Amino acid sequence: MSTALAITKLQLRILRRDPAFLVIMFGMPLVIMPILRQTVGLSLAAEGLEGANGAELAVPGQSVVFGFFVAGSVGFSVFREHGWKTWDRLRTSAASPISLLAGFAIPWIIIHVLYQVVLLAVGGLLFGLSFDVSIVADLAVIVSFSFAAIAIMLFSVASFRTVNQHQAIVNLGAMVMGGLGGALVPLEQLPGWAQAVAPITPTYWVMQGHRAVFLEDGGLADVATSVAVLCAFGLFFAGFGARRFRSDETKEFFA
Amino acid sequence: MLGITPVRELGQARTRWRARSGTVRLDRVLVAKDIEKAYGDVVALRGTDLSVAAGEVVALLGRNGAGKSTLLSIIAGLRPPDAGSVEIHGIDALADPVAASQHLGIAPQDTGVYRVLTVRENLEFFGELAGLKATRSARAEAVAEQLGLTDLLDRKASALSGGEVRRLHTGCALVHAPELLMLDEPTVGADVATRNQLIEAVRALAADGAAVIYTTHYLPEVTQLGADIVIIDDGRILARGTQAELEADHAISGLAVEVTADFDRARLDTFRPVDLGGGRLRLDGAATMAGVLEAAGDQTSSILSVERLQADLESVFLAVTGRQLDDETEVVA
Repeated sequence: MSTALAITKLQLRILRRDPAFLVIMFGMPLVIMPILRQTVGLSLAAEGLEGANGAELAVPGQSVVFGFFVAGSVGFSVFREHGWKTWDRLRTSAASPISLLAGFAIPWIIIHVLYQVVLLAVGGLLFGLSFDVSIVADLAVIVSFSFAAIAIMLFSVASFRTVNQHQAIVNLGAMVMGGLGGALVPLEQLPGWAQAVAPITPTYWVMQGHRAVFLEDGGLADVATSVAVLCAFGLFFAGFGARRFRSDETKEFFA
Repeated sequence: MLGITPVRELGQARTRWRARSGTVRLDRVLVAKDIEKAYGDVVALRGTDLSVAAGEVVALLGRNGAGKSTLLSIIAGLRPPDAGSVEIHGIDALADPVAASQHLGIAPQDTGVYRVLTVRENLEFFGELAGLKATRSARAEAVAEQLGLTDLLDRKASALSGGEVRRLHTGCALVHAPELLMLDEPTVGADVATRNQLIEAVRALAADGAAVIYTTHYLPEVTQLGADIVIIDDGRILARGTQAELEADHAISGLAVEVTADFDRARLDTFRPVDLGGGRLRLDGAATMAGVLEAAGDQTSSILSVERLQADLESVFLAVTGRQLDDETEVVA
């Protein structure tokens, strides 16, 4: 695992040299949250949740949507190594293929968790999200979502040849799955067919978890199903990704 | 600055590595046997053998497509062979590539460094990746000194010149003092000073006990390195020896004749002509100036030039492969 640790530290160092991406990914949802909060608040009021101000879903919803963009960076990092011609150097090092994958996944799981925590904290403070809830339960949702999102992106890396193809998956995850899962607007506002297919998306389960914590005062037991399903998503995509992954496959950084 | 010479530091690092891994120095650092590789219908390697001993610099000479890069990439574990075996430092590299890679350093032809990081950070990262811990900072400084990068240690790679990047690229391969070092055209695009620095570094590494495989387009480098030369063509190793041995065994004496397009080449068949391209013919050792003119008869005006061939690597290559060693030819040492 020392090689995975070396690659992890390298990824964090490179990110520190150019943090613009994370700064933008942090700023944009903070702009969108107040725009959506009122709409979400009206929807929740229509459900009979009179005390809700909309931040309960608008804030975590944006952390989920933009969380997919952030998760996509793990794939971008792998493709970038091909573009920098350093991938083969990593392959001829003492790092096994699993260590290679771990070296890229670990830092981005950590970053992904921290990203959501900070975004929820800042967004919550700015837009009136109450933290008098089970923080542990929400952390469980956050961590399991990070695992699932990074696993999906590694599966994308293993499956696609160009960074553009990977980027399409990132966009699909963020916008389509975000929309279907109720991260952009409350699920109740979606057409019937969309509500019916929503449970096949990981975003549905992460939003169900946040909803249980922030709207229904739920604890660990109340988010257990969401956490379990998200972990299952993660295991499924990580397993298939690891099986499909071929370190000797040529990847195109610019295509 | 270290209080010891870079060469000595390399030796100490390698000794430490051996002590940590519990292995002993082996005479044959690399033993590749019966390597076969095909890409579809194209056969790249046909039962190729290559061995390199500790302290030896081996030059593998071959045209583009001769199988050099495929052989190197198989040894480095970048692609699997269809058949054959590769042992690095006594380890079956095909069965346990991770263990074997700890004894291997490779600088591929394409420069691959992290341009957002400094020279020091690049060297330390590749040292850490190879398992160096407490010594990696000292090793980075020693390698930087050896390659003339000491003053640039804290400069980002993106701010380096092409030659400096090339030196850093090479340094990343040798920072962990590997027993087997493979350098694929390390001097491409480098100025004379950089070239000499890299060659001196390679000689120092070999003197310290490293086995080195080195490729270059520049034949004089092979002479400068004092390398054992291996000639590969069409996926087969055709000859191996020191430059003096190969020249003694294979160098061609004879004439090179340049003729016009309308010249009747059959007139020179007595001298077993070989087409060198560009209107040039190589004639065998029996050819003399007078003999050529006599054979040309009324076409002497179509003979543009005649020169005596020197016994050199180029003529050795020609004799062994029957092909011209041109600008496209690469040398892998």
